[in-house]
Amino acid sequence: MASVPHVAVIGGGSTGAGIARDLSMRGLDVTLLEQGNLTHGTTGRMHGLLHSGGRYAVSDQKSARECIAENRVLRDIASHCVEMTGGLFVKRPEDSAAYFEEKLAGCEECGIPAEVLSDEEARAVEPHLAKDVDRAISVPDGAVDPFRLVVANAASAQEHGARIETHSTVTDLLVEDGEVAGVEVEHGSGPGKRVHGVEGGREEVRADYVVNATGAWAGRIGEMAGVDIEVRPSKGVMTVMNVRQVDTVINRCRPKGDADIIVPHETTCILGTTDEEVDDPEDYPEERWEVDMMIDTLSEVVPMLAEARTIRSFWGVRPLYEPPEVGSEDPTDITRDYFLLDHEERDGLAGMTSIVGGKFTTYRMMGEEISDHVCEQFGIDADCRTADVPLPGSEEFSVLRDYMDEFGLRSPIGRRSVERLGSRADEVLDTDGPNPTVCGCEGVTRAEVRDAIEQSGSDLNAVRIRTRASMGNCQGGFCCHRLASELLPEHDELTARRAWDELLEERWKGQRHALWGQQLSQAMLNYALHATTQNRDSDPADGEPVDFGAFDDGSAESGTGMAVGVATDGGNRGD
Amino acid sequence: MSDAEPPDGADAGSPGTDAGGEFDPVEPDTGEEFEPVDVFPDSGDFDLRPGADSCYKCSTCDTSCPVAEVDDDFPGPKFQGPEQWRLKRTDDDHEVDDSVMDCSNCMRCDNACPSGVPLSQMHNTARGQYVDDRMSTLSVEYWRNRILANYRTSAWFASKAPRVANVAMNFGPARWVMEKAMGITSEREFPAFATETFTEWWARRGGAAASREHAREARERRSEPADADKRVAYFHGCYAEYNTPEVGKALVRVYEHFGYEVVVPDQGCSGTPMFANGMLEDARRHAEVNVPSLSALAEEGCDAIASCTSCSMALRQEYPELFDIEGIDDVAAHTFESVEYLRIHEDLVSEVREAEVGDDLAAEFAYHAPCHARNQGLDRQAVELFRDLEGAAIEDVGESCSGISGTYGWKDEKYETSMAIGEEMFEHMHDADGETGMTECPTCAMQMEHGTGYEVRHPLELLEAALVD
Amino acid sequence: MEFFDEAVPHYRGSHTDRNALVPTHGGTVKPTARYPASVSAGLASEDRDVLLVGFDSLVDFDAPHAAAHLEAAGVPFEVRAVTVRFPGDLRADAEVTRYAKPLDTDGETTVDGRSRPVRGALAERVAAELDGEGRVGFPAILGDDRPHRVRAALEDRLDADVFEVPMGPPSLPGMRLEDALFDALDEAGVSIETGNPVVDYDGDDRIEQVSVEKHGARIPNTADQYVLATGGLVGKGVESDRKRVSEPVFGCHVPHPDDRYDWFDTEAFGDHAFARFGVETDDSLRPLNGRGSAEFENLRAAGSVLGGYDFPAEKSGSGVSIATGYAAGRRAGEAV
Repeated sequence: MASVPHVAVIGGGSTGAGIARDLSMRGLDVTLLEQGNLTHGTTGRMHGLLHSGGRYAVSDQKSARECIAENRVLRDIASHCVEMTGGLFVKRPEDSAAYFEEKLAGCEECGIPAEVLSDEEARAVEPHLAKDVDRAISVPDGAVDPFRLVVANAASAQEHGARIETHSTVTDLLVEDGEVAGVEVEHGSGPGKRVHGVEGGREEVRADYVVNATGAWAGRIGEMAGVDIEVRPSKGVMTVMNVRQVDTVINRCRPKGDADIIVPHETTCILGTTDEEVDDPEDYPEERWEVDMMIDTLSEVVPMLAEARTIRSFWGVRPLYEPPEVGSEDPTDITRDYFLLDHEERDGLAGMTSIVGGKFTTYRMMGEEISDHVCEQFGIDADCRTADVPLPGSEEFSVLRDYMDEFGLRSPIGRRSVERLGSRADEVLDTDGPNPTVCGCEGVTRAEVRDAIEQSGSDLNAVRIRTRASMGNCQGGFCCHRLASELLPEHDELTARRAWDELLEERWKGQRHALWGQQLSQAMLNYALHATTQNRDSDPADGEPVDFGAFDDGSAESGTGMAVGVATDGGNRGD
Repeated sequence: MSDAEPPDGADAGSPGTDAGGEFDPVEPDTGEEFEPVDVFPDSGDFDLRPGADSCYKCSTCDTSCPVAEVDDDFPGPKFQGPEQWRLKRTDDDHEVDDSVMDCSNCMRCDNACPSGVPLSQMHNTARGQYVDDRMSTLSVEYWRNRILANYRTSAWFASKAPRVANVAMNFGPARWVMEKAMGITSEREFPAFATETFTEWWARRGGAAASREHAREARERRSEPADADKRVAYFHGCYAEYNTPEVGKALVRVYEHFGYEVVVPDQGCSGTPMFANGMLEDARRHAEVNVPSLSALAEEGCDAIASCTSCSMALRQEYPELFDIEGIDDVAAHTFESVEYLRIHEDLVSEVREAEVGDDLAAEFAYHAPCHARNQGLDRQAVELFRDLEGAAIEDVGESCSGISGTYGWKDEKYETSMAIGEEMFEHMHDADGETGMTECPTCAMQMEHGTGYEVRHPLELLEAALVD
Repeated sequence: MEFFDEAVPHYRGSHTDRNALVPTHGGTVKPTARYPASVSAGLASEDRDVLLVGFDSLVDFDAPHAAAHLEAAGVPFEVRAVTVRFPGDLRADAEVTRYAKPLDTDGETTVDGRSRPVRGALAERVAAELDGEGRVGFPAILGDDRPHRVRAALEDRLDADVFEVPMGPPSLPGMRLEDALFDALDEAGVSIETGNPVVDYDGDDRIEQVSVEKHGARIPNTADQYVLATGGLVGKGVESDRKRVSEPVFGCHVPHPDDRYDWFDTEAFGDHAFARFGVETDDSLRPLNGRGSAEFENLRAAGSVLGGYDFPAEKSGSGVSIATGYAAGRRAGEAV
């Protein structure tokens, strides 16, 4: 080959980032294009379960086997993104005992380590389980932070020479002589990191090959080249609790059904989910009944959820796909398997392959398969190394350190921070100046915020997904303005103000589904803080010019400009 | 996949009702209803993360914290409480930040929180976990804290030979050794031990029988029914027992004046100094004496009263929060501070308004409300009660904390913090007209005396002077 | 307002009916009728130049950000900003009271290995940065008990007026106001008990007594007239669950839409129904039941427990509290 082939990967979710890493590690020239932030689509909207495969052990054993294999790989290469919580399949008295046995047998058949726990043993593991739960199967489920994982994949790709473009929407596919020759992209704010207020622009990205890894959006990309990709997007709600009521993944041991999983995720628990087919992956109803069902149904398993505080809910769309001839009616019957659609074979359109279906846990395996396929196109013989080389941050590290002595951080803040940063902790946290906590709920310090800003520009939502800042119980009430302040002096005030507004709106969006009880009170406090103290609802910098002369200037006769700034009461009482 | 589901959960466990559910490799179904065992046998295992649900981060607790105000190594109750609990992991020993040992357990944050976050419970539990996990039981600090926390034990020994103890404990070289070897500050004088303990006096006076007689006479004098059911159990605690029996005596006389028979039940330490040092097991041992004894009396309609606000605080709040002992909630609901109880059940205000008092104790008092009184809503009680008492003037020296917080100010490394916290109170005491202090809490009294040289009285002593002939 | 001005002499603004614009920590200005003396030198309608001083480990006030934001708002003066280290190098995350305390007492602090009073040390650091500005703004940490003395000492050394920039909670100016109000109550001979909630009441059309809950014991309290001033959603005077909104102490009617998805607007600063949750009252400030008559003849409501107004949007929180607190107290007094 005269030169290294250039591959454009569309979609900055787990699959796209995984493909970008794999291809660039094999020496190809890669450009990753994402319309929003990394994880903007489905990846950023999942419950963070690292499957053991147990959930598919009865219905889809091929997926189950893939899951347990990849589960082991990720524990190894992405240790700073994974928390091995363990999981339980919990059987209530009214749940089928036969299914319980099938589940157990299925796990054994698929090589998933499984063990039956008595009611007492299960409650010893998870004290808040309902008193009438009668037994459980323990499996090696885990929790994984999808943001961190995708950011680490993208960072690794970048280290291997890839170009990562976020906030860059593909507006068209360039088709020349019946072959895809690249894509046309609209950049939100100019190439590179996103900076508010920087003029965007159109760019033609020419490529030797295009990979469509846009999940639920795959059909749209297909349309641009006139090919049909029948993705069947299916929405699911996830409700975020304020604290961890459980430290183990709790699955309801039932054949299928809504509201059957609780995943401990960082400081929170995430309840899931529903499964409803939608027409448009971006525009679908987010409904009250879905949130109510999560709480009401899952409190049968963990009763304290009924009264517990939820801080927000969000929805994701699964990029389900099945060959059109299958024709499942119910989205829950559609396979969770993935499909590689080579458009040359399938539609006579060379130069592009789409990958659809699949699930987060097996993202790396999907990346490997499609990378093999791409390499084949160019006759490249290069081994996949993504299962062996740890991701940036997951090289040898330990979270057990003396945070106070090393970084001057309090124990749980240091622990959380080191867990997030993994092996990058020393590089990020070892600072000279004071390193105050910016987000108290999640224990995020200035050093970590500045590191994230360095990586992602002025986009505070990108800072949020990297650090978890503003994702705790006050949902940004006390830290949005602090985060905005950290953007200066690298960015100017207007940029900071826009980023601040955007973060406030984003935080509000998900909280709307949690507005009762404690979170409604929190929302009122936040609103008072932001609108009263900070006057952000009528920010004088945003609106009409203020006639400052019309207001009290402190002098006895307003308008004279004289100051009476000093108290006259001696200052001993109260003042 | 569809199974024949049992109609409801009631008999679902029985073999045979589940389609195909014939085999359980671990535990055969017996069909019996199962009552789960208590998963929290030890207080150390309380999971208080859900308590963080009530926190809005308003930080009012932080502004109420007397330690955070003078010590920036202490990150304040919001961090120690809801933030730390929410961030904590359950799978790791090295989780509780060591700054939890800097908390003085004044519990002002409980009172400050507008939203009912169980702050002091979080602190007490975290401290217990920290001590269990991190503090070596071979360390000097551990044993120093344990000795300070178990003041009752030392005091019991001392009371056997109070005069010798008084000299020996404050003997210069001995104090030097204590400071160097144990970290007990030599800046403070150990409190004097009474030559006769409260219970020795009580027994000499004729115990409950004598009290019954006094109470009957008083009811007759007050034209109350002779058989009125007026009986209280006095929880004197360690300090009124060993150091200030005059407070206990005043309580007995004041209650008898109102026609109450006083009983003095079996009792140990309330646990306050042990909570503050994370010695939850020691505290539990004492609670296992106090709870059965007081709950049995409560069942007979005999409420408990304490003259020490930290003792009443412990029985009312910390007991049910930290321990699971039968009858503990009854004890909490039937325990009162001694003056509070009279305010509720007698027309104390009118009687004080009509009384007059000489200046034997003092004519003017500089009153300090102990933090633990504040927490029971009693911080205004003494001032509002005595402002109408003829012959005595009382001035509130403000809402600051005295800074001693029981054993806290006795630790060499905490002494400076303790005095820095107390500075505001000392200053206000000097500014006040009176040169005699007043407070309900024995250790606050120690600090007031230490910082100003004033003598310090308990409100019960003034009540006795005003009401009892 | 006269009543308020008398009770809280350290507040300013009574000389005019105009509102003042007070710069706050995010760098906007907030309109208000009264303001603490400690902020009066910072009013945005004055034209003297300003130096804003921030502390490097106090994240709630970023001076350069606030200064740039004020400039963007078009204030009629120049604003410069400087970030310094607080003398004595307080640890990151120190409480605001930890900054205020040594300033109150002018305690000794160690600067460059030398022990010296903190006010002078702070003034020296700031003086080095001052470039002829007539006024200097600090985050609101300038003392708790003796803020006037702290400001006077700094003004003396800086030869410029000193003011505070109010921040979010925990707010020292708010704590000082609370202290002043409690002092006024004490002077008026009021009995006060705090720390334990009223949880129940006896009575039908009239409240006979209320019960205070203490650790499982219920302690009765009686009065002729009662005023409900328990706050709104934040203060828990108004509570909610997934189905309804309620007033927890007396069960007073709180009007609200049935569907909780109608309680809010989709935009963060939209027209939120929840902001107006609270009791409705008659002309005598007595809460009304769902049928339009008074819930109790001797219960009045004041402050944030009242419904029908959106104080964050109107910036009317303290104003409504002062006016209704005064009126409810007056009416209750007249009824006795």
